[in-house]
Amino acid sequence: MAKFLKITLSILMMSVIIISCKKDSPVDEDGLLITFRQECFVSNFELLGSDFVTVRAATAVIDTIAQTINVTVNPGTDLKNVYPQFSLATDCKLDPKIIGKTDLSNLTSPKIYTVVSGNRKIRKPYTLNIKF
Amino acid sequence: MRNKKIQFPVLILIVLTSLLACTKQEYTIPDPVAQLTNDCIKRTIGPSIVGLPLEFAYAMALPKLNGKLVSAQVEANYAGATGTYLEHRSFYTNTSGVDVPIVVGSPSSNADKLTKMNFTVDTSAATLRYYYVIPEEARGKSVSFTFTVNSSDGKTASYKMGPYTISKMNIVKNLAVSNGANAYISIEDMKVYNAAAAATNAGKIDLVYLYRAAPTTFTHALVSPASDAAYLPGVTLPTGVNRSTKLRKVFGLQDRNLANLQFGIYIDDIDFQQLDMVDMPNYALGLRAESGVWVETTDKKYRAYIFVNSINAAGTAVISILRYTL
Repeated sequence: MAKFLKITLSILMMSVIIISCKKDSPVDEDGLLITFRQECFVSNFELLGSDFVTVRAATAVIDTIAQTINVTVNPGTDLKNVYPQFSLATDCKLDPKIIGKTDLSNLTSPKIYTVVSGNRKIRKPYTLNIKF
Repeated sequence: MRNKKIQFPVLILIVLTSLLACTKQEYTIPDPVAQLTNDCIKRTIGPSIVGLPLEFAYAMALPKLNGKLVSAQVEANYAGATGTYLEHRSFYTNTSGVDVPIVVGSPSSNADKLTKMNFTVDTSAATLRYYYVIPEEARGKSVSFTFTVNSSDGKTASYKMGPYTISKMNIVKNLAVSNGANAYISIEDMKVYNAAAAATNAGKIDLVYLYRAAPTTFTHALVSPASDAAYLPGVTLPTGVNRSTKLRKVFGLQDRNLANLQFGIYIDDIDFQQLDMVDMPNYALGLRAESGVWVETTDKKYRAYIFVNSINAAGTAVISILRYTL
């Protein structure tokens, strides 16, 4: 009986040690999983007004070679209060983060958003060009 | 040996626990009501706005052998505005969910804070609706009510409701606006003026209603008089109309009161208090039916929500306004 207990306890302890020594999955500073993916591009772009209705006059043109996003917006769009939305390749993230309404009214100095790949090793800055 | 000593009490404990856990809870029929009794619910669920009614359903009953209902009354701490009444009809809900009225008394009468009706039929149970139109003097304060019923056996039963906080908001519904005519909106007056009237109320004009078929994104618009001329194409403002009002477009916010009792959304005081109008423009283009705009007047005296009830291609629209005084 005592022998059986000793064996069981030994197995249990070994299991605990093995589990506790397993290497954690890597995460970045935002707590997001760092993966092996190298894809790094913007797949879709949307721009919403304060009423969360699109202000685009046409589909955004995304050039993944030139790393630009060209958007034509409706006349009278209030670009001080818009909500940009990016769709990115799998596991990518955006820098800077979009946390709410954004001021894109300075058309002479287009805003630059950087896409960071899933493995966090590739960074591609996209220039957001807006025109009426 | 020691293990056996422990095992037996543990076994007993488990058996007892199991027995107790399985005891069936017997349902006991409540005692029948032996005297006059009453109950009340508030049927209005939105914010309490001056000029709009608060609706209650007041139920009362006594055993048939004890007698019949004689009178019912409601006392409010502020006298109700015109339109306050206690139904002289009792309602029941039929199998189709429709409320069916049956006349049980004479129409109610109001005397200061008291609304009273007398039963004219021999009945021992009734549910009466009470509509309290919120008076101006209750704005920003609390109202409460005491519902009372008297029966022929000399008994009285009472039920207290409230207090309910009355909103600071003002409401005005279904204002017709038209391009080039009744186009000048005053938040302070909560009215729409034509150009001549706007000139005499120039300091109160906050917005101009416009309709332009082109560009297609312009259509129905609310534009502040001080807005860029590009947003006031072809408009000659009356002298002195020059206020700059902040606007924030909203879509999908159909307040039930503004939308004539459609939808289930309510705007309340707190929405105006927490509204962020920083950096908002002074124009709103491309308005559609059931869209709206948050408004902040140039003197920051008022915030408002203008709801577009309907529009039509001829350059007219119907709007409703909910206003909050800051």
